[in-house]
Amino acid sequence: MRPFLYSRAMTLEQAMSEAAQSHAAIMAGGTTLVDLMRGDLAGAEHVIDIGHLPGLAKVELDGPVLRFGALARMADVAELPFLKQNYPALVESLQLAASQQIRNAATLGGNLLQRTRCVYFRDGVSDCNKRVPGSGCAALDGEDREMALFGTSDRCVATYPGDWGTALAAFDTSVEISSASGTKTVKFADFHVAYGDDPARESILQPGEIVTAILVQATPAGRHSTYVKVRDRQSYAYAVTSAAVALELDGDRVTAARVSVGGVASKPWRAPAAEAALVGKVLNEAVALDAGKAAFADARPLRHNGFKIDLGARTVARAAMVAKGKH
Amino acid sequence: MDINMGNGGIGEPVVRRDAMAKALGLAQYAADFPHENTAYAALTLSKVARGRISRLDTAAAEAVAGVRLVLTHRSLNESLGDETFVMKGGHMQSSFLPLSSDEIHYAGQIVSLTIADTQEAAEEAARLVAIDYTTEPASASIDDAGLTEEPADSGIDVGDAEAAFAAAEVKVDATYLTPAQHHNPIELYAAAAAWRDGKLLINLPSQWVMGTRAGLAKVFGIPVEDVQVESPYVGGAFGAKASILPHVVLVAMAARRLGRPVKLVVPREAGFTVGSFRPAARSRVRLAATREGKLTAVMHDEVGQSAVIDHVAFPGMEATSKMYASPNIRMRSATVATDVNTPGFMRAPAEAPSFFGFESAMDELAVSLGIDPVELRIMNEPARDPVSGLPWSSRSLVECYRRGAALFGWSARNAKPGSMVAADGTLIGYGCATATYPSAMAPSSARVRLAADGSCVVYCAAHDVGTGAYTVLGQVAADVLGVPDELVTVEMGHSRHPSGPVSGGSITTGSAGSAVHMAARAVRERLFATVAGGQDRTKMTLADRHVVLPDGSRRAISDIIGGLPGGVIEEQADWKPTDMDDKTMRQGLAGGMAFAGPVGETHVSFSFGAQFAEVRIDPLLRTIRVARMVGVFACGRIINPRTARSNLMGGMIWGASSALLEQSQVDRARGRFANTDLASYHFAANADIGEVVVEMLDEHDSVVNAIGAKAVGEVGIVGVPAAIANAVYHATGVRVRKTPILMEDLL
Repeated sequence: MRPFLYSRAMTLEQAMSEAAQSHAAIMAGGTTLVDLMRGDLAGAEHVIDIGHLPGLAKVELDGPVLRFGALARMADVAELPFLKQNYPALVESLQLAASQQIRNAATLGGNLLQRTRCVYFRDGVSDCNKRVPGSGCAALDGEDREMALFGTSDRCVATYPGDWGTALAAFDTSVEISSASGTKTVKFADFHVAYGDDPARESILQPGEIVTAILVQATPAGRHSTYVKVRDRQSYAYAVTSAAVALELDGDRVTAARVSVGGVASKPWRAPAAEAALVGKVLNEAVALDAGKAAFADARPLRHNGFKIDLGARTVARAAMVAKGKH
Repeated sequence: MDINMGNGGIGEPVVRRDAMAKALGLAQYAADFPHENTAYAALTLSKVARGRISRLDTAAAEAVAGVRLVLTHRSLNESLGDETFVMKGGHMQSSFLPLSSDEIHYAGQIVSLTIADTQEAAEEAARLVAIDYTTEPASASIDDAGLTEEPADSGIDVGDAEAAFAAAEVKVDATYLTPAQHHNPIELYAAAAAWRDGKLLINLPSQWVMGTRAGLAKVFGIPVEDVQVESPYVGGAFGAKASILPHVVLVAMAARRLGRPVKLVVPREAGFTVGSFRPAARSRVRLAATREGKLTAVMHDEVGQSAVIDHVAFPGMEATSKMYASPNIRMRSATVATDVNTPGFMRAPAEAPSFFGFESAMDELAVSLGIDPVELRIMNEPARDPVSGLPWSSRSLVECYRRGAALFGWSARNAKPGSMVAADGTLIGYGCATATYPSAMAPSSARVRLAADGSCVVYCAAHDVGTGAYTVLGQVAADVLGVPDELVTVEMGHSRHPSGPVSGGSITTGSAGSAVHMAARAVRERLFATVAGGQDRTKMTLADRHVVLPDGSRRAISDIIGGLPGGVIEEQADWKPTDMDDKTMRQGLAGGMAFAGPVGETHVSFSFGAQFAEVRIDPLLRTIRVARMVGVFACGRIINPRTARSNLMGGMIWGASSALLEQSQVDRARGRFANTDLASYHFAANADIGEVVVEMLDEHDSVVNAIGAKAVGEVGIVGVPAAIANAVYHATGVRVRKTPILMEDLL
């Protein structure tokens, strides 16, 4: 592997300053970066470790905005009683991700930035516009069962792999980004970018910018929420399809709905058509399935992943019915 | 801590003797052995599947600090010499040695081996080897257009199956597909080679130290005595570590050239093409029966994936033709050559793919007949081998089914598909299938040394590939010599020991075990002869470290042996299967592939099992989970029920994994395996496997070998994929004729 410089940042300010240099990479839990570096996919010449920095792992849940420090560990957050009670979708998305060992090390902020599991990106060999811009996309005429239905382009069809990010997409979420020039907050929907001409670019994060917190607007819909993950293997596998659903209910009638889908899009994907199909309805299995179908009405299937339209609709339907049953 | 009961002899559930060393990380695997001044190697693999290297530039790689050698086809200038492919009588995994020319025969072919002072420098330099290719179209799938099927052999014919099938009242005609799969042992492929005074010592994970030694001696043109192969522990093998993989030869060549030890650990993704794999296969099965359920015709046409560079075929017909009584049998096999690394042995290479189709077809026939699938199999139990007409050395399949059905609760099954539903709507399906595996054998030597204190050492160049052979062979010696198991040490996995067989074909216990038995008996005879003093040696026994004489008096073996010169009794034995001639035995003991059976001159020997599975299927999402499995097996005498059970259970778990998860996806556009890491190549996690119940019948086989032990290692996987597919049909009414069975197959 390439020789690289590793440094432990003493302060956030130092990390931001060092991270502004070219070919620098921020390391928090290291669960994704080390993997990428072993595969020669990260191109990092300087790794700046911020995993131990104080103050960035704090989780504050008692205000109108839930604040998750970027360095909070997935495993720790998944155990918070308040979150389990009031936002099961968020907890479940963490519990169903990766393995316990990885969740013990991985951070919430780093998790947002994990890169696709597309085999053509990972193999280091095939044409991949994400890995080598301009080289092409092997997935377009290759194995595409795992590829995305939404937010794709003729240059990349890879899937955003995260569960936590998918669940966050169902809420009013924003991301706090810090850099030498100060701190800003961006809407979560604008944090990741769908693939256009440059699929190598996956978020708006610039060199020198560090995710320092994730902010979620408190909502009563959190209590009636769930994250359903469908995968080939019972654990330790990425979603083939997934869905987060959060509901506000008046009896059995849906008064507000939040729906996002995973395993099917280039970025965490909100499904407003499914939300519209739920609101105002008395929720039953048929309504839930109609909402699921609405979520996938605009899907762009490839050769081998068309089944995800049907499976994805069913996943939304299942999530809606489970969310309804939560209290 | 002693949780073993009794003396640890044959039949006792002795805890594996290497368990603690492995749990504590003390067991040294191939890559753990330190060689002073080791240089590290890294691979560069071909990015294209077929063509030639048009430009090769190693300047940047050679410029990396610490790089000592970049081996390419330009710099190698060596060959395999007289050594060749294992299927042609040699020991190599392939007849093609990468770096022997500029030709590219498959994606992921080794195109350079870079050696440096550090692992990091080697990896960085390997990345900088610049290669351009001229490419030609490649096919890595047997389903690609334009490929032709070549008959692999003459097949098997009994009676007139075509005519019987045409005339039959009830028939099934269906085709079943199984994908390419890779072994992915957790211990990666590795090799560390050191030359001293023209002699080679090589550490590598091996299922065949004697064969590897013979093969490397031939490659390098040196006497076999000048090669030593060391492999005391193997972290999963499954057939992948039997023949010599190409990197082993290249590492040894590099070490000789540098005059310095060289070590290579093959990364996971490279293992997909540096090693072998289970080839894709297609089975067309035709079964015909009377309305009452008596089979009248059994036909099986298999097509297997082969390679352009080597012809390989793993037809299952030898086993499927013997499964059921039918007056008419017709079996054919063919291969399709593809642009891939040479396929190889993987747990039950012939049986696992072929039984998925064959035993699924039996289930389809049972459905067509309206007969319970367990009863259908019992109705067609053959008294003798339907092909050769010979008797079985032992066959207890019916008893396996009866016991398995009782353990599983098969009688609770409502035969109607989709009729069994849990309270939450989960669809429940029950399925069963037969498993079998040939009980072949190979010649083996062993040496046993008994010391005055009762301690005993067994030497045999066989292998414990994680299955418990260290423990089992120790028990055989303990049993014969009447010493406690914990006083027995077993030395294996090194070519300096008396010759042992390849750990393939489920033969280690039967073959190496018979050799240990023979050597231990020779030790015992000498012990008896020493104390005989005119008494009848045939009436002496050994117990509790004493010889019990016919008159009832006891002589401590410490006294007997203590009085002998050297203070030990040591005997070596060369064992061969009954039907094998001496020449074949010598070839086998010299590291050649020499098998006897399963069809002998007077008997046919197979292990059998009946396997049951319960699947639970989400009615909406169609995810399939295996709630529980039951396997009842008849494998002759079980030397150690604990390790045998683990082995059979492991096979069943792999069978479930194979049924629902495992496939090497082929990118047909690029002619390469696509999912070459463990994030994408799925095998079962703990959460995928529910309850697994394994039982072994108390079966006595006095024919198969000296200790009555039939094959255990591979039979466990064989029936499970079909049992699960049959359970999926029972749960849903959907017949899936391919593995893995995925949720989209049930949408």
